[in-house]
Formats: sequence, structure tokens, C-alpha cells
Amino acid sequence: MSPTRLLPLLFLSSLAANGEIDFARDVRPILNAKCTACHGGVKEAGEVSFIYREKALGKGKSGESVVVPGNPDASEMIKRIVSHDPEEVMPKPEHGPRLSDKEIETLIQWVKEGAKWGEHWAFVKPERHTPPTVSNPSWCRNSIDPFILGRLDSEKLKPSAEADRASLLRRVSLDLVGLPPTLEELDAFIADTSPNAYEKQVDRLLASPAFGERWASVWMDLARYADSEGLGLDRPRDSWKFRDWLIDSFNQDKPFDQFTIEQLAGDLLPNPTLDQLVATTFHRLTQSNEEGGTDDEEFRVAAVLDRVNTTWEVWQGQTFGCVQCHSHPYDPIHHDEYYKFAAFFNQTRDADLSEGLPAISVPIDRARHNEAGSLQASISKAESALYEIHGSLNRSTTWAPVNNLEATGKGTLLKTVDQDGFREFRTTGNVASGSQHLLTFQPAGSTPLTAIRLELLPLDESAARLTPEWGSFLKKIDVSILPADGSKPRPVTLARLIGDEEHPLFDPEASLKGGQGWGPYSKIDRLRWCVVIPQEPIVLEPGAKLQVTLANGGTIISSFPMVAKRGRLAFTSNPAWTALLSQQEVVAHRNTISDARNKLKAIPSTTVPVMRELGTAAQRETHVFVRGNWLNKGDRIDTPDVPALFPKIPAGVKHDRLAMAKWIVSPENPLTSRVIVNRFWLELFGTGIVETAEDFGSSGVKPYHPELLDDLAVRFQSDFKWSLKRLARELVTSATYRQSAVIAPGMAERDQSNRLLSRGPRQRLTAEMSRDHALTVSGLITLKTHGMPTRPPIPAGVWNPFVGDPWKTPAPGDPERYRRSVYTYWKRSIPYPTFATFDAPTREMCSKRRLVSNTPLQALTVLNDPAFDECSRTLGSWMEKLPAPAIEEKLSSGYRRVTSRIVTPERLKELVAVYRKLETDFTKAPDPKAGETPQAAAFGVVASVLLNLDEAMVR
Amino acid sequence: MTFQEHLQAERLRHLTRRHFLRDCTTGLGGIWLASQGIASGVSKPAILRDANDPLMSLPPQVLAKAKRVIFLHMVGAPSQLDLFDYKPELKRLDGKECPKEFLEGKRFAFIQGVPKMLGPQFEFKQYGQSGAWFSDRLPNLARHADKLCFIKTMQTDQFNHGPAELLVHTGNQNLGYPSLGSWVTWGLGSDNNNLPGFMVLISGGRIPRVGASLWGSGFLPSVYQGVQCRSAGDPVLNAANPPGISRDVRRSALDALDKLDRQTHQEIGDPETLTRISQYEMAFRMQVSVPEVMDISKEPAHIHEMYGTKPGKESFANNCLLARRLAEAGTRYIQLFDWGWDTHGSNAVESIKDGFVKKCEDIDKPISALLTDLEQRGLLEDTLVVWSGEFGRTPMQENRGGTTNKFVGRDHNPGAFTLWMAGAGVKPGFTYGETDPVGYSAAKDPVQIRDFHATMLHLLGFDHKKLTFPFQGLDQKLTGVKPTKVVTGILT
Repeated sequence: MSPTRLLPLLFLSSLAANGEIDFARDVRPILNAKCTACHGGVKEAGEVSFIYREKALGKGKSGESVVVPGNPDASEMIKRIVSHDPEEVMPKPEHGPRLSDKEIETLIQWVKEGAKWGEHWAFVKPERHTPPTVSNPSWCRNSIDPFILGRLDSEKLKPSAEADRASLLRRVSLDLVGLPPTLEELDAFIADTSPNAYEKQVDRLLASPAFGERWASVWMDLARYADSEGLGLDRPRDSWKFRDWLIDSFNQDKPFDQFTIEQLAGDLLPNPTLDQLVATTFHRLTQSNEEGGTDDEEFRVAAVLDRVNTTWEVWQGQTFGCVQCHSHPYDPIHHDEYYKFAAFFNQTRDADLSEGLPAISVPIDRARHNEAGSLQASISKAESALYEIHGSLNRSTTWAPVNNLEATGKGTLLKTVDQDGFREFRTTGNVASGSQHLLTFQPAGSTPLTAIRLELLPLDESAARLTPEWGSFLKKIDVSILPADGSKPRPVTLARLIGDEEHPLFDPEASLKGGQGWGPYSKIDRLRWCVVIPQEPIVLEPGAKLQVTLANGGTIISSFPMVAKRGRLAFTSNPAWTALLSQQEVVAHRNTISDARNKLKAIPSTTVPVMRELGTAAQRETHVFVRGNWLNKGDRIDTPDVPALFPKIPAGVKHDRLAMAKWIVSPENPLTSRVIVNRFWLELFGTGIVETAEDFGSSGVKPYHPELLDDLAVRFQSDFKWSLKRLARELVTSATYRQSAVIAPGMAERDQSNRLLSRGPRQRLTAEMSRDHALTVSGLITLKTHGMPTRPPIPAGVWNPFVGDPWKTPAPGDPERYRRSVYTYWKRSIPYPTFATFDAPTREMCSKRRLVSNTPLQALTVLNDPAFDECSRTLGSWMEKLPAPAIEEKLSSGYRRVTSRIVTPERLKELVAVYRKLETDFTKAPDPKAGETPQAAAFGVVASVLLNLDEAMVR
Repeated sequence: MTFQEHLQAERLRHLTRRHFLRDCTTGLGGIWLASQGIASGVSKPAILRDANDPLMSLPPQVLAKAKRVIFLHMVGAPSQLDLFDYKPELKRLDGKECPKEFLEGKRFAFIQGVPKMLGPQFEFKQYGQSGAWFSDRLPNLARHADKLCFIKTMQTDQFNHGPAELLVHTGNQNLGYPSLGSWVTWGLGSDNNNLPGFMVLISGGRIPRVGASLWGSGFLPSVYQGVQCRSAGDPVLNAANPPGISRDVRRSALDALDKLDRQTHQEIGDPETLTRISQYEMAFRMQVSVPEVMDISKEPAHIHEMYGTKPGKESFANNCLLARRLAEAGTRYIQLFDWGWDTHGSNAVESIKDGFVKKCEDIDKPISALLTDLEQRGLLEDTLVVWSGEFGRTPMQENRGGTTNKFVGRDHNPGAFTLWMAGAGVKPGFTYGETDPVGYSAAKDPVQIRDFHATMLHLLGFDHKKLTFPFQGLDQKLTGVKPTKVVTGILT
């Protein structure tokens, strides 16, 4: 019997009425919910998977065809889902319930219609949409509103009235600038009778420098911004210039495409400015691990993968991290595509080094950024020029390999091995940090030596290309002549050391003077070389020998001795090396570098870690990690690329980080503008149009207003030209945003979570806002912008850093004590308690969304935390000192300052009553230590009541 | 009613409530789910909770032996070879060069080249009916030999402290995952309305290096994160009123706040306002209940004598006594961290002959007292006590930087370490698993961290495969994606 005939119900009219089955809308959700856990990208039970069409149309392990387009009866999938045999039915009874009849019908109809595949909505480029015809066009203020009203109409709901002016200004002020309105601002808005009074307020707020501070906080969660390194030691890290860059970018309304490119690849732009380099700190905010005994390569790799995941989470709203270990469980992204994308990020010089390098110095004074930037650019240019000159001389030189090397070690035993025409040195047994290698040889021939080349190699060259070995550095290199008669060695004066890196992290010539100079630091993955040039060509008398002494580095990360384990020497008599010492062009470049360095040193500066691409000669190989294990390398990735599911990088463009960044903000990218529009929507309305702002994949929640999202996403690019301020303006000037937040009777049942937006948003203050709000309404806040992190009061016993990192709070009265929260020092292992209590993440990884909680610890914070107590007392004393004679007036003013609203008579009655009671109690039992009048004490407590009001906690 | 019957009745009662939460998507469950962004996602979390009462005590998924956990973590990883895992063969090899087969393909944190073997540093003896081995460093604990259930073959895949500690406490070596205590508190709630369900106590002078992430809630709601109790200042942050504010004054203030907020709720109708009102009341109760439970000064003299406690001082002993008090008060998950077990031999404090000896003295009497005290109060039968480090130590002597250290120490060893449990549901006087003749790696019955997690959840009444929470497109679970088994061999 045909299996489909077993169905009790067949093809209800509802399906037919909806027209064709839409794979993404109708089928994919069933597959994801019921099938892909076993037959997906991770597990392919019975060799069946429903991620790709070609796979679904293939045969399973049983040899049966899974899906036969047009023929449900021949499709094993259908046979299994309709079956009632517990041995046969899918899903297996122990895995889950039977599919519903409706689901079964849908799948059968889908197969009948040819099993057409369709892309998940978010992977298809958004298009503009005509807003629906609505019941009340006059309610709509801009093109957002008809989409919202249209949906409300279809649900037979009505929008709410516009919020009162006080509530509206409070909401939009906290949303846009993170601060409540002042009494003056409230008065001005209420008194303004012009038709565009509200828009004027919005424009004022968008132009305020506080706008950048508020939105920087949002972006800092995504950027996992912290002032410390994370993991093992969590040492301080200077990164605050990046935070200031964010503030400036938001305030300047830097177009989002440019904002994106600068953060992902600012260093690869032509002639990047200092600020464009600072922007790349974004991806240097990954954690580093300086715990003793940790492997720099392991944590370099971890940082690279974090960059991949963060890029996808922030700009593409995709949970790409899944694909690190296996193909995506729901969406058609292959395991190897993860590593193709990772290859974009695998070519930067940073390698979890203890020094946090590469880093650039940035003037404290923002006005001097350009000056420092051009000095640094001139250094970089001169370094590149020298690198070319040195490289070509090295290549054109005929080097004579040393094949009679004698090697003795001080501290570490050495042996020699003949290989490739050289006699190499190798360490044997344990290596000891700080040991010396004494390398002696007798050059063949009698011509003067103009240069000696030292080459260091990994012990296993092919394995090291996959996973590098621990490296070394030269603390000092010396050359001396050992006379044939055994008399005292004669030191050779070395004029220069030339390294093989274009932009070395340490000055290679430090190895001539003593200090950390040239070396494969901290890992070696291929042959590395340096050349020493003697002041005068070396002339040896017959029988004399040359001795090269390598003083190796010490132990790093409390564990690893920086000792060269394998190397060889060569020499030359090419006079060009001696000539190089006085070659005019070389001298000029060297002078440029030292002049610029001196000038830079004179500018008071901080540093930030930045992205820096490796030179061609130092490029790494990228391999697939088998099951995500970095030590288990699979296929090699030859060209970085984006997953095939997405539009391609244009032909002829070099596939590097810059190309990737441009691809993200290209008009063809289906996700970027949707994701950013949704992020702003989430911040302003409390929930995104796509509720799972972190997951636009097929396992995320479907958008409530898909046409609106797509329409806004297109307009954001074309009409708004990627302007975030215009986007924010569009959102907050909509009638939708301006609705009252009152939950009218009956509304709770129909639209409880307000997904349909039948009322305005009412959100709890964010962690940063809750502190800034209390500081503002108490009058304490310091609105100075930019600068080093600040350390506001912190409860006793909290600050116990693992390694020294003192917390010094400025004394009461010092304006630095009351700076905005965006400037508070952010240590990953010791979150600032108020922020943690109010749901701020620790920012160890990219945090896409803060879940809002409502806990007793929040109550204890606002009631008792010393910083909030200071705010209460200050607000209390402000109320007490108001010139108004009546208590009622004082309390009304305090209430309005905190909540932005005019007090109701009932509330005022409560406030007066509690004030009177407290005043009486404090009079009866004054606190002798406090040194306050009973009135002052009572005002302080009432102020605390005000700061703890539900109305004070929301916007 | 027997305990079991009682449990079943309780479970039925709650099932109705959970049914309501699950099936009524516009009800309270709807709010909570919606606020977690999973209202219509692919799957639902295993536990559905009411946002307005997130710590409501819920019965376990299946009948459970353990109602609560006290986890004693010796931060830095104590040497199993000098405490419990006695190896005569290692004694014989003491001072000899390490055989090649132990070094091939191994990654070490600090050992370079070829190190020397290091024999047990203390005398060992067998104790109790079970004949468990103890070194002479833990004489008091040894008297409880027949209560303990040892796993000698714990294994981890992390050999640096930070990631290894995270793996023990969150099931993942990376930051950002919910801790054991958060999963358990999420699953079971709290038996005390006036105390957090998950409390953290720290001794040894330092917090563990990854800090609050070890008791963080990861992607679970933040209400399930551990609350760190402090020995200096307020026992819980901001529990004390500011200077000059008496409890009466606070009551007057909260009464006014309550009335004002109720007016707001009448005007706006936001259910969050009601939640906030109830949270302020809980805060007010916590201000009394937390200092009360944390105040050990009123404990009788014989108890102080037994634990070796001194009120007001930060110590592991005080924390053991506090753990008993919290257990008694109904706290679900009590996590102790004791810093200072990283015995590399790089200095006297990190030497097995010196610092390690002192650390053993710090814990021996208090743990022994805790076991005695729990037992005499009838709490041991439904409390699971766990003692562990984050990995083991090598049978080789460390030779950091390629030189012989002045002090005796051992490097990190992920291949084998000893964990013991006592109390609810585990076989007393029992040893599971066997290491190789030098105690370097598990030879018989290895147990992964995730197996231990599955076992612990099993004891608490959860199938580790079913305690899931959807996040980033996956049904996340404590035990991750690798094959995991409950160690049935140790269960009663």
C-alpha cells in the first residue's frame, strides 16, 4: 500500500490556499526541529542529512532514496515519518514524538511539488517593501509606522496614544545619550509648542557628545572591550584609545561601512592614519594568556578563532563558532569553509606575546594624533625601503656555507650535524635559559670576510610549518678571531646587524649592544636569518679561526628558555656589505627612522595593540583543524575565502582582510545591514525585530516584522548612506517609538511581550545607565569626555587582583570620581560590582545581548553601595538646601529630578509622610557619628527612596 | 510518608505548575522565555522557570540521592602522588632519569627535556576497613577512610590552571559557560527564600585566576550565578546598610518605596514593577539572613575546637564551618576554593616539603570536622561532598628553564589525578580506577571531567543529556558533545 494513503487527513485546503510550499518558511523549520539533530551538519545518522539538497536527494546507508522529487511514495523520508511501526518510524520514539499530521502533510506536499530547496530568508539579499495599507494612515509619522500598524490591524489591536512629554523625553534621552533629561531640558520641551518640538530634542541629543559615549558602551560589548588581558594573569592592557576612537566615530557619525572597514582592516588601507590603526585594536581585544607554562601558539590560534567568531557574530549575526569543529548543524556552511575564512585572520604578527606586541604609541593629546601618525608612517616607509635593499643584497650574495663548525655550549650541550652542505649546531639534552653557544670555524680561502650570516632552523622544518616550535632571541652576538698560536682572542668590531623582518618588533641591533634584539621570537616556524657586518672586513692569518658567540635569551612565561636549538653559519667576501655601511640611501633611511623615533619619544603617549599583517616571506599556512583541535591539522587552505553560500568576493581582488571587510559591507551581503538595523532596534525597543539578535540563522527566531526589517536594511544603505545617526533618528521619531508604555487593560493578554509594539518600550536602565543616572540626578556627574580609565568607589574586599593592579579612587569631591561609566576601568576577572549586578557581561568574548534580570542584589546595590549612598546623600542635601520653604516643594523637585515626571498628589503624600516619620525618628535618636541634622538625615533617606523607585530604574 | 514518597508527592505538585509554565506561552513562562529570546526558537530549555520566582525549589527530573553539593576545590592542583595515590615503583625510580616512553608525544607546562623521577615524598599507610592509602600529611582525614569514595583516574585535557579550572567548573576550557552551581541552581532552585542558592567561599589569600567566571552563569540567566561570600567587609556585597541607617529606618524607607511602586504599577501595569517590589522584600530579608548564617561566632566552643576556626579570619577552616551552616540553611550549591596548591618547587612556598605541608595542615582538620559534623546532623546522607584539584602532578621532578630546581616540586599532569567524594549516593570506603605503576596516567577505568559532571548530575536527579539550554543554535549541556558516561561503578 502506498504509505501516503495511510494518512488520516490529506492536504487540507489551508495548504492549497497558501499556494506553493515555501521551503524556507514551511519545511526548514520542521527539519530543524525534528530531523537535523541526527540528520544534520554534525551527525549524519544512516548517512542521511537534510542540510544540502543534493544530499537529501541521495541515498541513505540502507540504499533507499531519501527524497525523490515529485514522488512521495518512493521517498524513504516520507515512508518513515508516516509509519506507525516503532522499529521504522522517524523520529525514533526514544528521540521524540511523531510529526504532527500537519507537518507530515507539509512534507508530502513539498516532495510532490518537486522538493524545491530555498534559501533561509536571512541569506537572501533584502529588498524594499511597500508598506501595507493601514486603518489609520494619519497615525503614521514615518515609513516604519505603517508596517507596525499593518500588523496590529491584522491582529485587531490598536496602537497606544503618544506618551506624555516628560516620559518621552526621559525615554529618548536615556536611549540616545544614556543620561536623563535635566529639569531645564524638561521645561524647555514642555513649553515648546512648535510642531517639531520633539524632533528638535532628538536632533539636540544626536549632536551631544554624550551620544558617542552611550553607543560606544553598546559596541564595547560586541568588541569584548576590556582594560585587561583576560585568562591566566589578567594583567592590565592599554586599550582605552580604542574606546575613545569609538566615541569619536559615533559622534562624527562615521558611516557604518567605513566604521566596519577601519576596525577589521584599517591597517591594510592605503596610507592608513593613526586613527585607522587604532581602529584595528577591535580584533586585538581578544584575550591573551600569560599564565606560566602556557603555549603562545595555542593562544594565538585561540585569538584568531575568536576573531573569526566575533566577526560573524557582530556583522553577520551567525553562530559561526559551531563550524569550528564540524559542519554547521542547521545551515549550509561546511567545516572547511570556517578555516577558509579563518585564513583571512591567520596572517597577523601578534602571537600571544607577553609584551602585547605589535602595539603602536598614541599621543595622549588627541590633537597630536596626526603628527605622531605621520612620524610612524615615515618610519614604516623607511623600514620597508631598507628591507628591500637588505633583502636583495642577501639574495645576490654568494654565501659560503660553514662546513667545519665546532660548537660548544655554556649551559647547554651542543653537537654538530652535517646537512645540506653545512655543519650545523644542535642542542642536545636539556636546554638552559641564558646559555651561550660558542661557534668556531675556519673559513676556506684567504679573502677578507665582509659579512657573516646566521641561520636558525626549527628542529623539524615540515612539522614546524604546521605547528611552530619554541623560538629564541639573541641577547648578544659577538665575533672574535682565535689566533693560530693560541694567544688571546681578538674581538671583531661589529658595525651592524641586519634582520629578516620588514617591521621587527624589537630593534635587531639591540643584539649588538646587549638586550632583546633579533630572533625567531617567541616561536620558529621556518628558516630565519640575520647578517652581521664587521666594521672592517675580517682578515685572518693562516691557521686562525673565527668564533661567533651567541648569548641566548632567558625564560619566558616562567617556563620556556629562549635558546636557539639548531642553526648554521655562512660567510661572504662580497664588498657590497661593507659598502652598505656608508651607502647614502641606507644612511638616509636610518636617519629618518632615528629622527622620527626621537620626535615620537618627546610626545607624551600611551600604547594600543594593533593588527599588523605579516610580510610575504613570513606568511603562515592555514589548515583545517580536525574536529576543531588546533594540534590536529587537516587539509591545507590555499586561498582565504567566504563561504559558498554567500556572494563572492569580486574577481581580481586579492583575498585579504581588507577584501573580507569590504565584502561584509558590500551591497550584496545579505546580512550586515539587517544585523545592524536590528541591533539598533533592540537597543531602542528592548527586543530586536529578530529577537535572537545573535542568531539570524535558520535556528534563530523568525522576525516579527520581516518586511520592515528588510525595508529599513535597504534604506540604511541607500537612503541613509550607512549613517547610524539617521538610523537612530528614524527609529525614535516613529509614532511607534513615541507611544505610551502603559499596559492598558486587556493588552497584557494580547501582546504581553510587546512584540507587536502596541505600546511604547519601557526598559530597565543598563548597568552603565543606572550608575550614570544616579550621578546625574544627584548632581555629581562629571561630563568630561575621553581619556584614561577611571576608578570610581568600589566596595571593600572586592579588588583582589591576581597580579598587581592597584585601584585608587579619587577622593570625594574630585571630579574624576564621578566620570561616566563608559570610562570605568574594566577588568575581566574582577567585574565592577554594580555593572555585574545589573547584567553587564565580563566581556571575555563578544556579548551580543544582555539578558535583563531583576534581583535582590540589584536592590542591595542601589540601597547600600557606597557610591549610590553618596548619590543619595548629595541629592538629599540638594533637596534640603532648595530655597523653597515648603517640604512639599523640596520633595516634588527631588522626585521630578529623579523620575523626570511631575509628582502626583498621592505620591507626594507618601513622600511627605515618610519624610516626617524619618525626621521624627532621627530627632528622637540622632546618630552622633553622622554629624547631620535630623532633617539632613531624613532628606538623605528619602533621596535613597527616590533613587530606588521603579520609575528611577527604567527609561 | 517516607522520604521517597514525599519526594514523589512534591514532584507531582510541581509538575502541575511546570505544566502551566510550559503550555501557557502567554503566561509567566512566556515572559521568561521571551526575555531569554527562545520563545519560538528550535528548542526549549529543559527547565522552565518563572521570572518572578526564579529560585523556586523544583524537584529533580528523576529521583535523586543528593539534595545539595559542597565542592572543595584545592586551587593549583595538589599532588595525588603525595596524598592518596601510593606508588612503590615510583619510590624505586626516585632520582633516576625519566624513561623515554613517558615523554614521547607529551606536552608539558614547565618540564624541559629529560627530567628525573620523583618518588613519594611522605610515608604512606592504609586506613580503615577499606584499606585506603593515605600519606602521613592527612592524619585526621585518614580516620574517615571508610566514608570516602576515591576516583584515582580522573583525566582532563587542559594542563594550564585557568583553562583546567574552567573545565572542572563549567565543562568548557573557554570562558563564558555556566558553572556547575549555576546549572544545578537553575535545575533545582533554592530551599531557602532568604539566601542565594549558590554561594562561593574563598580562602588561601587569592581568588582563582579566572575569577568570577568559575561561578558565572554563562548563558543562563544571571540570577543563577554564584554569590561570593566575603570574609572582609559585608559577607555579601552591600548587605549592610550605609552608616546611620538603622533597620527601622530602612523598613520605613522600604514601606514608602513599596507604596510608591504600587502606584506606579497601577498606572503603568508593568509586571516587572511587581517583581521589583518582591525583590526589595527579599533583599530586606537577606540583610538579616546572610549575616546570620555567615556569623560563626555563636557556634559552641567544641565546634570551633573541632574545625580549628577563628571567627573573623579568612581561612579554609572557617569556610568549612560556613559550608556546614549554609548546607543546613538550605543552600543548594556551596563552592569552596582554597588557593595555594601549585607545588612546582620554584620556591619554598611552592615546595612539596614546605608550602605543601602547610597547606595539608590547613585542610586536614577542617575537612575531617566537616565530615563528622555533617554526619552527626544527618546531613551527609543527602549532601554530596567533593574534593578535587583541576589536574594532577607529574611523577617527574620539575626542571623549569632546563635546570634542576632547588626545591622539590612536580609539574602539571592532565593524565591522572585523584578526586574523592563522600555522602549522598556514592559508595563509602571505595576506590575506583587504577593508575600506571608510577601514577602518571590512568591505566584502568579512566574518568573524564565530563563523566564526573554526568555522575554528579545523576546524583542530583538529572540526566546530563536532558539538562539542556538552547544557545547559539545548539542545545547546550554541561557535559558538552563528546561521549560521556555516568560512573555507575561508584554509585550505591
